[in-house]
Amino acid sequence: MSPRPQAVTVIDLVRTFQPRKQPAVQALDGVRLDVDEGEVHGLLGPNGAGKTTLVKILTTVLLPTSGRAEILGHDVVHDAKAVRPLIGIVFGGERGLYTRLTARQNLEYWASLYRLPGAQIKARAAALLERVGLAEKADVKVETFSRGMKQRLHLARGLVAGAKVLFLDEPTTGMDPIAAREFRTLISEIRAEGATILLATHDMVEAEVLCDRVTLIDHGRILATESPRSLGRLVSRFQRVDVEGADRELLDRVAALPGVESIVESDDGHRINVDGDEHVPVVLKVIVEAGVVDVRTSRPSLEEVYVGLIGDRGLEV
Amino acid sequence: MRGFRSGFRLQLSFFRNYPDSLIPLLTAPLFTVVFTMVLRHGGRGDLSGYAMIAPFYMSLWWFAIFNGGWVIQTERWEGTIEYLVAAPVGFVSVIVGRISTMLLAGAVAFGEVWVFGRYVLRTNVTIHHPYVFTASLVLTLIAMTTTSLFMANLFVLSRTAVTFSNSASYPVYLLGGILVPIALLPGWLQPATNIVFLSWSSKLLRGSLSAGPIQGAAFDLSMIALLAVVALGLATAFMSRILRHARSSGELALR
Repeated sequence: MSPRPQAVTVIDLVRTFQPRKQPAVQALDGVRLDVDEGEVHGLLGPNGAGKTTLVKILTTVLLPTSGRAEILGHDVVHDAKAVRPLIGIVFGGERGLYTRLTARQNLEYWASLYRLPGAQIKARAAALLERVGLAEKADVKVETFSRGMKQRLHLARGLVAGAKVLFLDEPTTGMDPIAAREFRTLISEIRAEGATILLATHDMVEAEVLCDRVTLIDHGRILATESPRSLGRLVSRFQRVDVEGADRELLDRVAALPGVESIVESDDGHRINVDGDEHVPVVLKVIVEAGVVDVRTSRPSLEEVYVGLIGDRGLEV
Repeated sequence: MRGFRSGFRLQLSFFRNYPDSLIPLLTAPLFTVVFTMVLRHGGRGDLSGYAMIAPFYMSLWWFAIFNGGWVIQTERWEGTIEYLVAAPVGFVSVIVGRISTMLLAGAVAFGEVWVFGRYVLRTNVTIHHPYVFTASLVLTLIAMTTTSLFMANLFVLSRTAVTFSNSASYPVYLLGGILVPIALLPGWLQPATNIVFLSWSSKLLRGSLSAGPIQGAAFDLSMIALLAVVALGLATAFMSRILRHARSSGELALR
């Protein structure tokens, strides 16, 4: 079976910043990454990990210090002109839009910069505004928009030329939960249309919900690249059964079952670590037959993986 | 051409939506009043034509530096510069398109000052050398646009573009002979005026208002054209290098 074509290829990428009168900062340190066509790939890491630096290099805005990167076979440094029509960018945030122009004016301008034929620009802008839920605000100045509305307009701009590879850099930062959920729904729709999406985020829910694979990055280095589900195995090989309301006698019986590695107390009950999926049904049967109904299974969450691999550094960058 | 047209249209939108970008159209008539009254009070009403030329140059310089020269800086403030660099249409063509609107703005400023002076202040000015006057005016507008493009390039490297442009105006007015005739400047300063196209331009425009022949008009026109070409050449030579430097240093989007 032939390998899936690569949308994004990164080979030994290094990026060093040399601020004036300050020590050099190694933002990327030999990064290697492959993203398949049609994949939604998450870049997960704390602030200062190198996510934005990597995205900026891949979108031809920043030059690497050494190494190579390609978008759909085109080198981002030597063939940047071929890369730019293929990509859409959503850096997000409060800036990046002409605030005294309307949403429609912004979008039509960017459509013209992406070489859309003149006759199509107005229709394309109108269709995108409709799609991101801004049709009613099309002729309102962007300076009056909420954060969520600006993010949606950013997304519309990223889609204006039908990008084959879409880069999203923390697109839901600062959004309220409902707006963020709606935004993720939009991303899912775009994904279903076949676009490749690279999503830089430190939102675990976003990464788990949207991404086929997630790359953990910290201090400019790749720590792991796996599916969100598989990443759990990096911190624990166990399947977990969480139970509330189990008495001592029941827990002793469960502890004696094959495959039960350990039972630890948790905030709201007990967590039973089971070595191997094949042993879980027996454990569940014993618990349920004892009359306990508050039971669920889980794997380590992405947040647990994140904290386990990157470490709990509090507010430290 | 796509980038040029897009940039040109965008800048016209900015003129409509940022009325403060058209401030010179408010101040030019005021300066015209000031200079005209000073000359009339000094008994030199015969030089009233000069009082209309100076506000035109001041307006033009303002448009060139604070609109044109700040084009890239405003892209930085708006956070749009990285999107612009990453767009398929060339960054240079968009910037040139935006800055070329200064031609229009300058022409409007000139027309406004002329109409105001003639019909409000009743300044009676005769253009004795209309061809030289027209040629000087057109070349001046072009030279100011290319100078603006050169300035916009320099401001990419500098994070203090605001400070520079605020402080550069009056030295340029002096070296350009806009407020004070160059002949009155210290001798050691006069050679510096030769590389400021405004000095050649102001000499020609004032000369066009005087009866009698204009000495060396062809040479002066050539100097304006030459300095315009030099500014354009420097701007285009630097643009790709400066952009590459900004992308390399990571300072492209820094405000």
